[in-house]
Amino acid sequence: MTTSEKPHQHPSLDDPRVMLDDQIGQFEAVPPYPPRTEREAEFYSLRDGEMFVNMGPQHPSTHGVLRVVLKINGEQVVDLDPVLGYLHRGVEKLCENSDYHHIISQIDPLEYVSSLFMEWAPVMAFEKLLDVEVPRRAEYIRVLTGELLRVSSHILYQGWMALDLGGLAPILYSFIERDEIVEMLAAITGQRMLFNYFRIGGVNGDLNHEFMSRLGDWMSRAAKQHEANIGLLNENEIFVRRMRDIGRLDGATALRMGASGPNLRAAGVPFDVRRAHPYSVYPELEFDIPTRGGNGGGDSLDRYLLRLDEVSQSIRIIDQCLHNMPDGPIMARLPRLLRPRPGRAWAAVEAPRGLFGTYVISDGTDQPFRMKIHDPSFVHLQLVGLLMKNNLLADTMAVMASLDPVMGGIDK
Amino acid sequence: MSFIPGIGLVRGMGLTLRRFFQPKATIRWPEEKADVAPKFRGRLQLLYDEYGSLKCETCFQCAQACPIECIDMGGMDTKGRFHVHWGPAETYGERREESALRRSGRPVADPMYARFEAIDLAAVDEILEAHDYDPKGMLAILEETQAAYGYLPVAALKHISRVTGAWYATIYGTATYYRHLRFEPPTVETAAPAGEAQRAVEAGYRSALDVALGYAPGNPA
Amino acid sequence: MTALNRTWGHLTLTGKVVIPLLFLVLVVGPIVTIFFATVVGPWLADLLGANLEIVRFVVAIGGILLFSIPAAFIIIYMELKVIAFMNLRIGPDRVGPKGAAHSLVAGLKVLTKEDFSPTGVDHVVFTWAPVIVFLTAVMTFLVIPFGPGLVGQDFNIGLLYMFAVGGMAVVGLLLAGWSSSNKYSLLGGLRAAAQMVSYEIPLTLSVVGLILLAGTMSLNRIAEAQAGWFTDWFVFRQPLGALIFFIAATAEANRTPFDMAEADSEIVAGFATEYSGMRFGFLFFAEYVNVFIISALLTTLFFGAWNAPIDINAILAAFGLSPITVSLDPGSLGVGLLIALLVVPVILTLIFAAPFYLTKSSRPAWQALVLGFLVVTLVGIALIGLLGYIGLPWLGGLIWFMLKSFLFVYVFVWMRGTFPRVRIDQLMGFAWKWLLPVSLLNLFVTAAAILIVKS
Repeated sequence: MTTSEKPHQHPSLDDPRVMLDDQIGQFEAVPPYPPRTEREAEFYSLRDGEMFVNMGPQHPSTHGVLRVVLKINGEQVVDLDPVLGYLHRGVEKLCENSDYHHIISQIDPLEYVSSLFMEWAPVMAFEKLLDVEVPRRAEYIRVLTGELLRVSSHILYQGWMALDLGGLAPILYSFIERDEIVEMLAAITGQRMLFNYFRIGGVNGDLNHEFMSRLGDWMSRAAKQHEANIGLLNENEIFVRRMRDIGRLDGATALRMGASGPNLRAAGVPFDVRRAHPYSVYPELEFDIPTRGGNGGGDSLDRYLLRLDEVSQSIRIIDQCLHNMPDGPIMARLPRLLRPRPGRAWAAVEAPRGLFGTYVISDGTDQPFRMKIHDPSFVHLQLVGLLMKNNLLADTMAVMASLDPVMGGIDK
Repeated sequence: MSFIPGIGLVRGMGLTLRRFFQPKATIRWPEEKADVAPKFRGRLQLLYDEYGSLKCETCFQCAQACPIECIDMGGMDTKGRFHVHWGPAETYGERREESALRRSGRPVADPMYARFEAIDLAAVDEILEAHDYDPKGMLAILEETQAAYGYLPVAALKHISRVTGAWYATIYGTATYYRHLRFEPPTVETAAPAGEAQRAVEAGYRSALDVALGYAPGNPA
Repeated sequence: MTALNRTWGHLTLTGKVVIPLLFLVLVVGPIVTIFFATVVGPWLADLLGANLEIVRFVVAIGGILLFSIPAAFIIIYMELKVIAFMNLRIGPDRVGPKGAAHSLVAGLKVLTKEDFSPTGVDHVVFTWAPVIVFLTAVMTFLVIPFGPGLVGQDFNIGLLYMFAVGGMAVVGLLLAGWSSSNKYSLLGGLRAAAQMVSYEIPLTLSVVGLILLAGTMSLNRIAEAQAGWFTDWFVFRQPLGALIFFIAATAEANRTPFDMAEADSEIVAGFATEYSGMRFGFLFFAEYVNVFIISALLTTLFFGAWNAPIDINAILAAFGLSPITVSLDPGSLGVGLLIALLVVPVILTLIFAAPFYLTKSSRPAWQALVLGFLVVTLVGIALIGLLGYIGLPWLGGLIWFMLKSFLFVYVFVWMRGTFPRVRIDQLMGFAWKWLLPVSLLNLFVTAAAILIVKS
């Protein structure tokens, strides 16, 4: 074997039959083909003093596998291009080849943090196609578990917002609380994370003693714990200064870009799917829609505080559900092989991240013809480029974390 | 108190100090086990009934129902045949590589899988015989196949997979890794003489390469 | 020689070990010992005696190097455990008793990793950058007074030496960031350099007031100037200086909330992204040695170094008693010493075992005796410690110094577990717009006060 002058090179580099020989040192962010769109041309042309930094798919803070190509001038980010697809699993295609019942387990991992909402929208769409009426008890259980998961998701958001800014402690506190809620849900659904709990026409398991005792424990501490959570980071000057006036999003831009959920409400627009297009038993429940950032839109701090407001509203809803829980069956009677009538149905729910909707086209067979998923994190990722213009590198993380994306939903 | 700069920081530190002395939330596995709900279905185990016999009857319903085909079971069927499998090919070394798509019965519009040109596989058989059907020398097998046909036809790769037992996907992956292997027949400009002459040309190229790299003739390194 | 070979071939493995060992011990050993004792020994002793200063210096730096690595291990363990406890989890607890050997094993692991350097790096710079960072950290140990008389070298510009050498770490970080051909490392290195350079100024300015007060730059003499009660410590005379020093030192050591240079949320490990194995070990240890240095500096300058908070002798003098001294002369007991050593522990074991035996009826006698013996051992150690503390002034000083330093290390680790990171422009703004003017203010006020008091 010939020895090479450079030490520690992989022996395959000596072999000219291996692909890498003329690609060393050229792992640039710029793609090897000429720009295909105007945006690509604009992005991939460098002015004086600018350089590309690739926050690659393997990164401690991109909420999953997201590649972000940053064009920076020193410390200031001039432009930003997220590259998706590293977590693409072909969920929509998988759904086309699954029975209607199987789709529920396929679609759970979209937003794995709050997976019950991912099941809720398709199940509602299928129920529309099948003209199934869901028993009231099942609806109340759906709302109860959904709101519990919303609380857990927002608490986790608090934790990883702090983690992206450098504080190592709050995420662990968040996980301790999330663990409680998730164990609670494991008592009725059987799993801690990808629940596979909702069924077409109801839910899978009824409330049992284990769940009720854990829930009672948690509810008795919920209000005080929420107070403590609010006080955890709100007064911390470093934290507040990292988030204030970063990523200011005003209502008109948010609506134009299609934002929804807490990001939209923090920009001043009081839009909530539970009130605008009511579904399930939400019309019977009393809760407010917190909104922040009325003048000039909301910054990251507003988005953070808004989610804390939502947690207290969710606790209110859980309380009402527990008081008004009706008796009855938890699942409608349906045949095992489902063949809905040919048609189309759209159903949307208010997931913790925004509006999650599914559009189902059925062709009369036991598998849907097409299932289109509208995921809120996918839409919100576009906002990052908009909000990041001329901010600093460290703020990229703050802005991205404040929009609360989950890569499973973005890449489907 | 928030008008004193830094007071929030001190209160934050006070909170962490309080947490320093609180009981920890960690469960020291395996000495302590977590409190798992009875309904938890994450345990991968077959259950026994109260008489001590296994509840599972291998009725295949779970394997048939699983949307991601991750359940496989094997055993004897009623005619005493072993190797009865229902499940994805990857979990057992079976050579059924048809995808779930094909198994669902729906028409697949995939030129690669549904239709590929049949070719004369005698040359491939010869090459495989020379390499003793060992999939470990896959690169050499593929190079010689390309030398024989001018490119790597799908039928040849399928045949190699069937005969050596290596998975088609692996062979395909190996072929795509190397730049000198191609799946399309060479165009007019790059048309090479087929067969014997081509093999001679390739052999000549390889020996010239060895000389250039300094390999001694006959030295396998 | 073939006879020797044959004999060697006939031996078993044990024989091959034991026979040469016996030969060494019985034959070579005495010859070498006599040679050393008669010829080399006296010459060596004369040489050392003539150059006692050099010997002392060599021993001092040997001790410092030997101390710095275990100190880093202890601080790493503290960081892992303390932050874990603050996060309501346990941290390492499998490797040794309560996970105490974890950092040692981590150090060994770092030694055994592959020596990998990525393509395109400048090898010389890549290898030497961590060495520079580590060296500058350890070199500052030389002037820190661990106890009365326990100082590596008592320069009369000790503080200046410390800041000068500590500032060279910037060079190391810059080299590390530049030589790994990686944009992340470059960004991290530049950030680190900018941060460290801008915080040097408030750091040095905040102690100038102290230097004016103490009248000397020698750390040993600053420590001596704080003898007495804890109110003599400089923190009460220079509170603002202490605060500025604390903040600036946190930034100098790249600790949270100022650890932008190694922010693992944005630029994966900053300047240390491409480092692995022992090179990373050097950078890693250098950071923790730095933490110890700044805690040690903080104690030395502001918190009384090796002085105890209360002056026992002064209290006793107030009551009219003479100061406690210890004068032991065990030899005067003669044979009685032997009897005392043999008899006293036995009697004490029995005395201390009695309560254990009597209180729990199911306890077997041997268990009570063992417990009694343990108690005797503990009491003996405590007594010896107390005697040492009273009798040897340097021991007490060392203990107090270590206690205070590790207390401040705990505070730094506590801050790491609590605070998020400060953004780089906020960091720089804070240094230049706030700390610098405030430290200048501190300096002027101190100087004015000295003038007024003197006149």
